[in-house]
Amino acid sequence: MPPVLEMRDISKSFGGTAALSGFSLSMEPGRIHALVGENGAGKSTLIKTMTGIHQPETGDILVDGQPVSFRGTADAQRAGVAAIYQEPMVFPDLSVAENIFISHQNRRQLINWSALNDEAAAMIARLGVTLDPRRAAAELTLAEQQTVEIARAISLNVRVLIMDEPSASLSDHEVKRLFGIARSLRDQGVAVLYISHRLEEIFALADTVTVMRDGKHISTKPVTEVTQASMIAEMVGRDMAGRFAREPSKDTGEVLLNVSNLAKTGVFRDVSFTVNRGEIVCFSGLVGARRTDVGLALFGVAPADQGSVEIAGQPVTITNPAQAQSLGIAYVSEDRRKLGLALTEGITANITLPMLGKYSGAFGWLDRMHELADAQAFRKQLNIKAANLTVPVGTLSGGNQQKVMLAKWLNTKPRLLIVDEPTRGIDIGAKAEVHQILRALAAEGVAIIIISSDLPEVLSLADRILVMREGRIVGEFTGEDATDESVMHLAVAAEVA
Amino acid sequence: MTALRSWEGFLFAVLILIYAVNAWSSPVFLTPGNQINMFQLSVEKIIVALVMTFVIINGEIDLSVASIMGLAACAFGWLVQAEVPGGWAIMIALMIGLACGAFNALFIVGFGIPSLVVTLATMIAFRGFARVLVEDRGINAFPAWFNHLGQKGLIGPVPLAMVVFAVLAVLAYLILQRTAFGRKVYFIGANRAVAEFSGLDVRAVKAKIFIASGVVSALAGILFAARVGAVRGDVAQGFELDIITMVLLGGVSIFGGAGTMSGTILAILIVLALRNGMALQNITGHIQTGVLGILLILSVMVPIIRETGGRLIARVR
Repeated sequence: MPPVLEMRDISKSFGGTAALSGFSLSMEPGRIHALVGENGAGKSTLIKTMTGIHQPETGDILVDGQPVSFRGTADAQRAGVAAIYQEPMVFPDLSVAENIFISHQNRRQLINWSALNDEAAAMIARLGVTLDPRRAAAELTLAEQQTVEIARAISLNVRVLIMDEPSASLSDHEVKRLFGIARSLRDQGVAVLYISHRLEEIFALADTVTVMRDGKHISTKPVTEVTQASMIAEMVGRDMAGRFAREPSKDTGEVLLNVSNLAKTGVFRDVSFTVNRGEIVCFSGLVGARRTDVGLALFGVAPADQGSVEIAGQPVTITNPAQAQSLGIAYVSEDRRKLGLALTEGITANITLPMLGKYSGAFGWLDRMHELADAQAFRKQLNIKAANLTVPVGTLSGGNQQKVMLAKWLNTKPRLLIVDEPTRGIDIGAKAEVHQILRALAAEGVAIIIISSDLPEVLSLADRILVMREGRIVGEFTGEDATDESVMHLAVAAEVA
Repeated sequence: MTALRSWEGFLFAVLILIYAVNAWSSPVFLTPGNQINMFQLSVEKIIVALVMTFVIINGEIDLSVASIMGLAACAFGWLVQAEVPGGWAIMIALMIGLACGAFNALFIVGFGIPSLVVTLATMIAFRGFARVLVEDRGINAFPAWFNHLGQKGLIGPVPLAMVVFAVLAVLAYLILQRTAFGRKVYFIGANRAVAEFSGLDVRAVKAKIFIASGVVSALAGILFAARVGAVRGDVAQGFELDIITMVLLGGVSIFGGAGTMSGTILAILIVLALRNGMALQNITGHIQTGVLGILLILSVMVPIIRETGGRLIARVR
């Protein structure tokens, strides 16, 4: 098959930094092509160049062998190149059908609603999914919104569909459905570019895999000829396989947190567990198993209605985050943008925010040198990569933002650290560093709760694993005994296990 | 060159340019008498602009400031007419400002109603009270010492209101840029959920700002009464727009979280110097207002132009 889209020797730089240098990629119809690389490898720039948001400085883009130049997304769309992202872009107040046909403007006629809805239903059926075209997009789940986006692309006769980390926020069975959609697109002759940090997905889905590093093309091989270890080695340029190995437990056996029969009506119930100083307890389960709600209840953001909590033997009732902090609890949220960091503010100010009292003297006067000194210490300790400590946090890469968030909460000197999805959407090098930081904290005697949907991460970090399903704890493993299969089995349906 | 890249650097350059043009075109412009006069004509507005900077960086708006100015001024006049001693009348007028601010805070912080809605309503309500108190006839029988405070120099030729502005400007700068309170103002404006999650007392900060806005507005209203020597129901009517304009021109984001006190102060100086310079050239008030409107639009456009310009240059390279 001749390629439908070809990128030849594409280079693009921003302010002297080369994001892409001499990158080539060829997309064939009816194939799923996976693209992997660490954060900052240039994947986003590549996508933006393919969809006309950026224009390459040198190199050619060819559609059906003819050189083209995309001046904007409209040009790319006309050539049949479209992209969907982790966060679907839909109009929340419009219906499914309206969202799908939003780019089809027919100014002369009135809208024939029943025909529009039928056509939308047919479009969705082509993806092997059922979805009522009359529903408002706001009512849909994230996965369903993605389906709408894909249907919109198909309605525009997409020939190359780029899927940028589409599975990052989906639950396991939603990912399966997404795979089904990707395969049916492939069978209909669409060239799919699939980007994901979850390497295991690539083996399940892709035909070909391209590895990129530092804006350069490293390799393109049939997926049958690569292994996870070989891909990781190529992504990072060094052998990282061993870094995810387990380490001996730092559990002191001394109970710090004792939760019994915690419940919140309609959300979770019968939640009882303990965490020791120096112990890492992981909450595993599907997205929507209400793990985050338990964490937020312990931090006082959405307090529980029933049950009791003891910290170091003292019964406590936690009603707000300020109080939780004063009890020595810190919570690193999974939602960096909404709850974690103020992206427009500087690194130092974000780090010191929960502890402003520590830095202020008479009349609340801030000791800025003291703030800077502490931030500098964290920059060194956590290896935060930034030009300086006053740049807005939003300009950092995901991994570095995650480290700033960790610094912010470590600065509160917590006794209990709750970390929700500590490494989601960050690259493999940063991931290993975050794991190292968490282990070091446990060694210092901090009790750690990790909520993670990343099973390899859970298996390598946890001293104990609690599996949640539908608002209840349905099982417990020690870190040594657990396997992917045993945990996943319990998370999906405990009765069968 | 790097100084020019910041918004404050840009404003500073504009200010120097305006001062240079004014000084070149009118020999009167730089004289101390004219400079004081320039400040004195808008001194109440620029005092309120200082506290408005906190309100807007915090992600809120206070449309009721001019009505609080009017209400405090009218209450003062009414009390003086009722033969309440001047000192007491001032205290009571300030307390009314505090009560107005607390009333706004109650609905915004206590009941969670958007500040745009609450202060739009209280803008009308407080103005209504002012008109009920004084109606249309006006009051001008103020004690002589009070009129002197408004019209004569306190330190040399510099009148009280300018001294108040200078002191408040320094205080506002220090509080916003150098204290924990100021830091909280920024973070709450930038991302309220993050601020709450980090354990900040978001509601207390917002309440304090609206109460301060009420008190400072009342103070500005009293200073206005002293300068003009009379009050009427429509005192300071429409001032809120001029005040908000100065703050936005200073680079404060209407969405909250961004801007600086030095930006606001530079914008104040620019507006004053521009108006004064045009007045010295006998340009009418209506045209002056038009020019300021265009200036505001340009100030919003400059960052956008700079960005697209930068992109064009990058493409040419």
